[in-house]
Amino acid sequence: MSRTRQLGKLFVADMKLMFREKQVWFWNIFFPIILMVIFMLIFGSSSENFKAKVAIVETSANATSDRLEQELRNVPVFEWKSEQPVDQAQADKWIEDKDVDAVIVLPATEDAKTLKLIFNKETEMSATSQAISGIVGQFIEQANWSEAGVTPTFNLDVSSISGGSEDLEYADFLMTGQIALAIAQGGLFGMVGMVEMRRKGLLKRLKMTPVRLGLLGLSGMIVRFILGVFQILVLTAIGAGFFGVNLHIDPATLIVAFFVGAITFNALGYLFSSFSKTMEAYMGYANIASFVMMFLSGIFFPTSGFPDWLKTVSEVLPLTYFVEGMRDGMAYGSGIGSSDYWLGIAILAGWGAVTYAIGALVYRRTKIEAR
Amino acid sequence: MPVLEVKGLRKTFGAVTAVAEISFSVEAGEVFTIIGPNGAGKTTTLEMIEGLVPPDAGTITVDGLTWEKNEDEIKYKIGVQPQSSAMFDLLTIEENLDLFASFYPRSKSIAEVLEMINLTDHRSKYVKSLSGGQRQRLAIGLAMISDPDVIFLDEPTTGLDPQARRNIWDIVLKLKELGKTTILTTHYMEEAEKLSDRVCIVDQGRIVTLDTPAALIDRLTKEREVRVSFLDGESAAAEAESVAAQLPGVTKTVREGAFLQLWSVQPEESLYGLFGFTKERGFRVEQVSIRELSLEDVFIAFTGKEWRD
Ligand SMILES: Nc1ncnc2c1ncn2[C@@H]1O[C@H](COP(=O)(O)OP(=O)(O)OP(=O)(O)O)[C@@H](O)[C@H]1O
Ligand SMILES: [Mg+2]
Repeated sequence: MSRTRQLGKLFVADMKLMFREKQVWFWNIFFPIILMVIFMLIFGSSSENFKAKVAIVETSANATSDRLEQELRNVPVFEWKSEQPVDQAQADKWIEDKDVDAVIVLPATEDAKTLKLIFNKETEMSATSQAISGIVGQFIEQANWSEAGVTPTFNLDVSSISGGSEDLEYADFLMTGQIALAIAQGGLFGMVGMVEMRRKGLLKRLKMTPVRLGLLGLSGMIVRFILGVFQILVLTAIGAGFFGVNLHIDPATLIVAFFVGAITFNALGYLFSSFSKTMEAYMGYANIASFVMMFLSGIFFPTSGFPDWLKTVSEVLPLTYFVEGMRDGMAYGSGIGSSDYWLGIAILAGWGAVTYAIGALVYRRTKIEAR
Repeated sequence: MPVLEVKGLRKTFGAVTAVAEISFSVEAGEVFTIIGPNGAGKTTTLEMIEGLVPPDAGTITVDGLTWEKNEDEIKYKIGVQPQSSAMFDLLTIEENLDLFASFYPRSKSIAEVLEMINLTDHRSKYVKSLSGGQRQRLAIGLAMISDPDVIFLDEPTTGLDPQARRNIWDIVLKLKELGKTTILTTHYMEEAEKLSDRVCIVDQGRIVTLDTPAALIDRLTKEREVRVSFLDGESAAAEAESVAAQLPGVTKTVREGAFLQLWSVQPEESLYGLFGFTKERGFRVEQVSIRELSLEDVFIAFTGKEWRD
């Protein structure tokens, strides 16, 4: 009875302490939002909305060039700089100024068979340039087939494949990644209060009262769970509201991943706090852990492009499994029934158990003293 | 039966002996002061009694209870204001008191505590915005929130201005009126004399002496210093000196210009004789004083060292 009352009071106090701390708001709410929005704006435009700005140069009008121009104008992903073909000089200027992504030069005579594609040297290797080359190449191939009067026997139907029932758009990938990262950071950095309490002698002061320090830890945990839920809601609202993120939520999958992940990253923070004498030291450890995992765990980009050795590193990190679990729960809408999901959860939980055990050991070894 | 009994306490930190041997007992309702210079072992002694630091040797009983067997019961009975008082800086005074109150099965009303520590008007202020004196009063408030029988105050007035210090004295006196037992440490002799029923002087981890302030002063040699200055200048003072040296009880005289100092084991007798002489000669006396003995003299007498705050 009095335990629940104590827990209640500690919880209320912890909530006040958290929401009165401006740092908490910044790092746990605003910073993840800013990060997500920036990544969305830079990389978020999905292939569906892919547009390339292109201009056509016609040196002298002829039947071939007219027909090609007509067909080209039907390619949906091209956005035209001008409705009319322009001369070479004008096109060169646009390329130099990067007013267009590419310029297509039509054949100069009826018999000429060459289409010329011009890029700016600086952006030659960009994804957009590659895509335009591909599209124009495909276009020419089709033109050749129809010129020869044959229907192609083989056709390539390109579509992307992802693990879930639905295709995963980058925005979905990024938002779920950002949510997992925010919750993980909440845990990694969340024990800073513990370090401060120890440094200032508040833990020592509390030890003079009959309160159980376990209750203090429990209430802090509950508060960070609530913060985690808040992070999910805010980031999801922004992702879905402004960036067209598709949600496929499976509550059980999401809840299990969230709980296990939140506890595991709290345990990591607890471990860091156990051997940090000062706030600066603690922040240092948390920052290193957070940075390494942020880039190696497939938060912003898939890890598929990594060299093998780096993939191995990624497969060891807890955040990799946490973000997978969260994606299963929020983007793929399945997971609870798959063994891969449970393997990931098990690895995540293993991390939590081991780090907590080490942290508890270190705490027991070093007496809580203010000096 | 004493409410607190401490026997043969000892604590070393590596090569440092913080407390060598300390034993005392405190009766219910007493204000018991431990006084001593920096590093004397006051805080270490208190922390052992408060159950924070395990002693290397010695026993502690609070109202017949021991830490080994009755940890929670002792915690319900004692209230602690540590030397560096830590609280929740982002909670208000009232919220701090309320939170600490929830840790105990029985507690005083928040309003009553606020009244006693005179912070009712500031109850909604965040702790981080409090002045040193207000902070210290809150620390004492937190120590008394569980309505404990025994209260430990570790240097409650260090670093405070005279007014803030007097405010704290008032709180200690109120606690005494309520019949609480208070054990406090201080660097200020004046404070120990004003507040305490008994004073325990500690140096280098040992008790130098322990008694009521008056008895301690009384125990000093009876020789007192008397100062007289004359309006009629050096010659009057010189004549007075030669007379004074013959007076009963006087052991020594020193003169500097018109200012005469004499030491006497019977200061009243000596002054009576001196004034008889000045009256006869018509000399005018400007100032007379008998220097009061203080605990500082006690400290110096017992340790042979100068007292420094
Ligand atoms: N945890 C500790 N580790 C090492 N030495 C300590 C520790 N605590 C106290 N000491 C040493 O023990 C001695 C007594 O310290 P203590 O704090 O008890 O003195 P104090 O009388 O309270 O002094 P002050 O008036 O400055 O508060 C000092 O020399 C101090 O340096
Ligand atoms: Mg001290």
